[in-house]
Amino acid sequence: MTRILLNSRLDDCLSAWRSAGYRVIAPSRSNNLTSFDEVASAADMALDLVLPERTIKDHFFPQTEPLVRYEIKKQQIDTEEMLPPDDKRVFFGVRPCDAAGLDIDDPLFGWDYKDQYWFKRRENSVIVTIACTKADPFCMCTSVNLGPDNPKGSDIMLHPLKDGRGWQMVTLTDRGKALLETVVPMLQEDAAETASLANVPVKFDVEKAMTWLADPANFESHFWKEISQRCIGCGSCTFLCPTCHCFDIQDEGDTYSGIRRKNWDSCSFAMFTMHTSGHNPRNTQSMRWRQRIMHKFNYYRGKFGVNSCSGCGRCTRQCPVDMGITETLQEITNTAK
Amino acid sequence: MGIQEQYRNEAAELLSSGAVKLVIGYGGGSTPDRRRPVFVRSAEEVSRLVLDSYCVANLSAYLISEGLLSDGKNVAVFLKPDGIRSVNILSAEAQVNPDQVVILGFNIEGEQTTPLPGRKAADYAPLMESLRSSGLSPELQREADRLEQMSAVERFDYWKEQFAKCIKCYACRQVCPMCYCRRCIVDVNQPQWINTSSHTLGNFEWNIVRAFHLAGRCVACGGCDRACPVNIPLRLINHRMSKETLDIFGHFPGESADQKPVLATFRQDDPETFIL
Repeated sequence: MTRILLNSRLDDCLSAWRSAGYRVIAPSRSNNLTSFDEVASAADMALDLVLPERTIKDHFFPQTEPLVRYEIKKQQIDTEEMLPPDDKRVFFGVRPCDAAGLDIDDPLFGWDYKDQYWFKRRENSVIVTIACTKADPFCMCTSVNLGPDNPKGSDIMLHPLKDGRGWQMVTLTDRGKALLETVVPMLQEDAAETASLANVPVKFDVEKAMTWLADPANFESHFWKEISQRCIGCGSCTFLCPTCHCFDIQDEGDTYSGIRRKNWDSCSFAMFTMHTSGHNPRNTQSMRWRQRIMHKFNYYRGKFGVNSCSGCGRCTRQCPVDMGITETLQEITNTAK
Repeated sequence: MGIQEQYRNEAAELLSSGAVKLVIGYGGGSTPDRRRPVFVRSAEEVSRLVLDSYCVANLSAYLISEGLLSDGKNVAVFLKPDGIRSVNILSAEAQVNPDQVVILGFNIEGEQTTPLPGRKAADYAPLMESLRSSGLSPELQREADRLEQMSAVERFDYWKEQFAKCIKCYACRQVCPMCYCRRCIVDVNQPQWINTSSHTLGNFEWNIVRAFHLAGRCVACGGCDRACPVNIPLRLINHRMSKETLDIFGHFPGESADQKPVLATFRQDDPETFIL
């Protein structure tokens, strides 16, 4: 016997969560874009999507975020810290790759300095993930040792029922249990068969690729130039990546007052490593693409013990020139001894 | 012999005779309907080239890759009529030497891909003439009309919603053959002239700056629109600017390599309707 949430009771859950002080955020379609947005009812959710175009990351590490308001006066400087709102949030209908992305980024934001902008949001959010029963040609979670029902980063996992009536609900964390408590009357105890999971073929041998990347002899390989020749150097892959986390700090205002902001930045941009002197240590696109791959599958693991890729496939899916992690790691896997 | 076979042979001939050092074309992509840019350097590799109705990208943007043409050697590139217009503009703006660009011209109509005979941009003068006389895309005009019918407030709200989606990934800029500045104004940071923040104001700044810089230069290849990962209908902004420069100055961008850039030239008979 397991707990079942029926489709027909989802709106009741939403009301219960709202009464308990949660905002409900789910995949939705608006303005010709699919992304995670606050929803008023189950009808606003786009749960049929394999994956929204934009990631859940947007709600934890927004593309631009105010940090401090400052004002420079004659004798003093006034500052006012601008922390994110305290509101509690339920993320409903997250995919396992996006949920895993949050978990992958946790050590980064808590490594030497605990980034309260990230963790305040993390602590106030409950991730309700729906296991995938369908995938598209770009999905590659199984290639990075995750999968269509991987629990990493999720507080509750929903397994779609075979008959399509709803989901089997499995709580994974205390936060998940606490959320479930708020909707117990809407659930039923039942034995029901769950739908079969999406078949996501393994596309590359990540262990083999990592070994190749770790070999210093390959750092200057001609491979990097070949594979990145068509890269146009935009930030689409990094900005749509659930784990890419680089940012730039900018002061916006005039000499005397303004707001210090944290803005997304991308290792794909030539400006990313440009020195004040004009020297750029990564002065070609191949060096930048190499950096992105090395960071995800070598450096990040070295520092935090996990690869910085959750296999969502957005980098390839939305690349204007059809590049992406899959092709690069496939090529490495195919050529590595 | 199909067009793909014909163009593979031509590419092989160009490479083996040493007429070009590189062929920029299309290859198979990660799904059956995707094509990706490929760079072919020897006749043995021409089997990588694909040519069919999925080959829609304007590859002329690769001609402005830093250093590509600086050795004086020729490069061949697969181009549709919009790409040929781009080469004309890049020539007129002194960014490429048209003598170094060998054009493998083709056209797509529905599912049909047909060859466009010619080698250099100048060979396509009659085609350019006919494009000019058929004017701007009626299809785009129909879409633009929908926006024109809105009140100014409604239209502003429409773009506000669209630009709110922008993440400043600059895919629109990077994919565009007209965006060849070695340092884009938004990347000039001593001082930072344009906010880097991707909030509504910052997104307006970016998209409007780009639209202005494209006025009278856009060939409506649709590259930015396709590249945009958040689906902003950039084609409509650019179309509007093209309509403006065509209506006011009779300027059809890219019709020849010696066409003067519309916003960088002055004629005695230019209308001055913008002066209040």
